[in-house]
Amino acid sequence: MIFLKKLRLSTKETITGLIFISPWLIGFLTFTVYPLIQSLWFSFNNVRPTAEGLMITFVGFDNYKNLFLGDVTFSDILINYSLQIIVYVPVIIVFSLFVALLLNQKIKGQSFFRTVFFLPVIITSGAIMKSLLEQGATTFEGLTKIASNPILRENLPPVLFSLLEFLLNSFIMILWFSGVQILIFLAGLQKLDKSMYEAARIDGASNWQLLWKLTLPILAPLITVNIIYTVVTVSTYSINPVIDKIQTDMYRPELGLGYAAAESWIYFGVIVLIIMVMLLLNIKRKSRAY
Amino acid sequence: MAFQGTKIDPKKFHKSQLKFYFFLVPFALFMILPIIFIFSNAFKPANEFFAFPPRIFVVRPTLDNFKRLFTAFSESNIPATRYLFNSIIVALITVLATIFISSMAGYALSKKQFKLKKIIFEINTLALMFVPIAVSIPRYVIIAKLGLIDTFAINILPLIAMPVGLFLIKQFIDQIPDSLIEAAKIDGANDWYIYLKIILPMIKPAIATVAILSFQAAWNNADITYINSEYLKTFSAFMTTLTSSTSPVVGMGMSAAATLIMFIPNLVIFILMQSKVMNTMAYSGIK
Repeated sequence: MIFLKKLRLSTKETITGLIFISPWLIGFLTFTVYPLIQSLWFSFNNVRPTAEGLMITFVGFDNYKNLFLGDVTFSDILINYSLQIIVYVPVIIVFSLFVALLLNQKIKGQSFFRTVFFLPVIITSGAIMKSLLEQGATTFEGLTKIASNPILRENLPPVLFSLLEFLLNSFIMILWFSGVQILIFLAGLQKLDKSMYEAARIDGASNWQLLWKLTLPILAPLITVNIIYTVVTVSTYSINPVIDKIQTDMYRPELGLGYAAAESWIYFGVIVLIIMVMLLLNIKRKSRAY
Repeated sequence: MAFQGTKIDPKKFHKSQLKFYFFLVPFALFMILPIIFIFSNAFKPANEFFAFPPRIFVVRPTLDNFKRLFTAFSESNIPATRYLFNSIIVALITVLATIFISSMAGYALSKKQFKLKKIIFEINTLALMFVPIAVSIPRYVIIAKLGLIDTFAINILPLIAMPVGLFLIKQFIDQIPDSLIEAAKIDGANDWYIYLKIILPMIKPAIATVAILSFQAAWNNADITYINSEYLKTFSAFMTTLTSSTSPVVGMGMSAAATLIMFIPNLVIFILMQSKVMNTMAYSGIK
């Protein structure tokens, strides 16, 4: 009897769950999942648009083979941009955490600052960002001057220097990409239990210790969320070199859609890999903190 | 304690706050920069566009760009208000539907226990990472199969099931303590009631964020792949064809003016929504 009741409860839960999710699921399956599967199928085919519709011939792994063996530019662009993402993400995470901690302090004009730091979410999507980039608004003269300083160039090891140069040159981009991340961190910070901090303070913990032993471990799940969100926005926003390459190849008649599809699946694989590595690092750090 | 989030500004300025300003003010300037840029660009005369080094502020503001844009408006066959009307309807329906659908799905994925939920959320997160343009042609194929080409609905439908929206909302619902929902259940609330009266008010910041994001997706969507009829096109599609069909030198000023016009609704929505984003985050209600 108890068993039956339990079963009924769980099926009820499943049914309500499915009812709540179904409108979203239907849209998601038709407009996202199905096209995704189709593009995976395309990547193993030679697909050419003709007057009668799409001409599809199966070619196996040829597209992937041509990509790595025949196309010099693609792997270059891919590696370059992946390195950029790997540098961007930790910087954005640290920066947005830093700003969120600052914005969580009791200061005058706090709500104004919160608004200002959330502002970039309305520019980083698409068209506006593109025109800003074209007109050179994403670099700031003072910063690029620091980057081209000969003393720095001579005295720093080349790897470190090029990293610094890259960071300074893309500083504004980093700021603009951190809007939603700051918001997520801030929401987490506001839910922190104040009495825990009081207790720690009475025990003699310094602010620095509070940050590392209390705040960061509690924020760890949000760091995971932010890592995913950051990688996603940086890797899929419409003006990045890899997407540009995929887009041009898509409309090149001698290559066809299959080739572009193969490119996007490789890019997708690389991004998933980056996210997995970053999440693993984050989990490791988290377990050490406890 | 719990209500402190509603009054975040301390009344007085104190010297101890200075160190925070030291960091916040310069960063804040960078954040405002693009907005200033968009505004001043729209008023730049042609020669200032090609000045080197490029300037952020306009030196001699002029209304020429707008004049040219509005002449081009009046030369097109269909009045610009028609496109504007399309855009407003599309944006309105998209935002409302996205919020409703993704918050419902987010509630189920976060608080209901059923077998498929983990897989569904994982697929959603993976779908987030896929290059959007790579699916455009397969998407065209399925839309054509469904017979939705050249319908008004196709401006809206592909935008509604927004993976980012579900991702953000689900993360916020995860933060709501289960005990709160259990308490409501014991008091006899059903799922629909819990969703409407507990979940929705508590995830207002996430909803406002998703509203901002989906409004942008809908309003800035210039994709005309699925639309042939001029009467069904949106304002941004109209703007894009308008600015890209003129010469690049004149076009630059026109597109800067168009960018500003397209941008202002984004800014308005942002200003309307942001107070909700920022102020209601501390209502957890449970210790």
